[in-house]
Amino acid sequence: MADFIAVNSEANFVRLDINANPAGYANANVAFAATADTMTVPALQEVTVNATPGTFNWSQLDELSEKVVTTPSTNSISVTLVLDPVTFFAGKGNTDGIFDIVNSKTETFFRLYWAGDSSTDRWIQGKGYLSALAPTVSPGAPVWTSPLEILVTGSYETGAVT
Amino acid sequence: MAIRDTLLANLAVALAPHSVSVSSELPFTAAGVALYDKNMKKVYLDADRNDTTELFPTLDYNDVFQQEITVLGYLSVDAKNQPTDIEQVLGHVRNSRLSVANCYLRECSVTNDYAEDRNTYTFEFRFLTI
Repeated sequence: MADFIAVNSEANFVRLDINANPAGYANANVAFAATADTMTVPALQEVTVNATPGTFNWSQLDELSEKVVTTPSTNSISVTLVLDPVTFFAGKGNTDGIFDIVNSKTETFFRLYWAGDSSTDRWIQGKGYLSALAPTVSPGAPVWTSPLEILVTGSYETGAVT
Repeated sequence: MAIRDTLLANLAVALAPHSVSVSSELPFTAAGVALYDKNMKKVYLDADRNDTTELFPTLDYNDVFQQEITVLGYLSVDAKNQPTDIEQVLGHVRNSRLSVANCYLRECSVTNDYAEDRNTYTFEFRFLTI
């Protein structure tokens, strides 16, 4: 069987960092070097990375199959999480809490570690806007949870922990 | 403070004007006879049973757990001559669940069965807290 990417051990946990200092940074690498403003989003329940190139299809009379060219991609990261007061309200350093980031539409750098954050572990990063926040709570599940989506502006950058 | 203690304190007050009382003893069995069968018209509560179950799993050990506490209660009465205030008594026992604070679910179900001339009510209290 082919190898797989497991995230079920502490060394291989998925990790999502965000940095939303409104003063901005030149790029994601600079942003995540500023650890005082970098906040790890805890208690993720589900993570979905969407990377979808747009396409334009057409048919022509001298071909039996459609032709395709790509158009700009739509990239986003969707998560659901259990809300905690620090990351949801207080934030860290110059990064506001998630609610305020969404409310003020602050451009946010993100870095997602696929399976752990040790040397050679892989990540993707970029910048985007936090969206789709919809906190919910009910009598049968009396803890706030919410979906959250990062609408990525531009392409993903990929790399590994050095 | 165990939930059993809260229920006992509430029942001691609520049942005071009635023909049924509450015992602080555990409902143990001696010589093959359960205490609530030997001492009829007394409510007995068993010790708290605690279970911890996962409410929300997460990817990083920040799982949210809930604690489920179950308390069983017993009351035996004469089946041929039930106390005239039995319905009020049963109501008080059921409502004693509301004396327990800081739980987001407070349930009580009642069943009964007959053995010889006894009618034994079994109360199952169920509480959920984070």
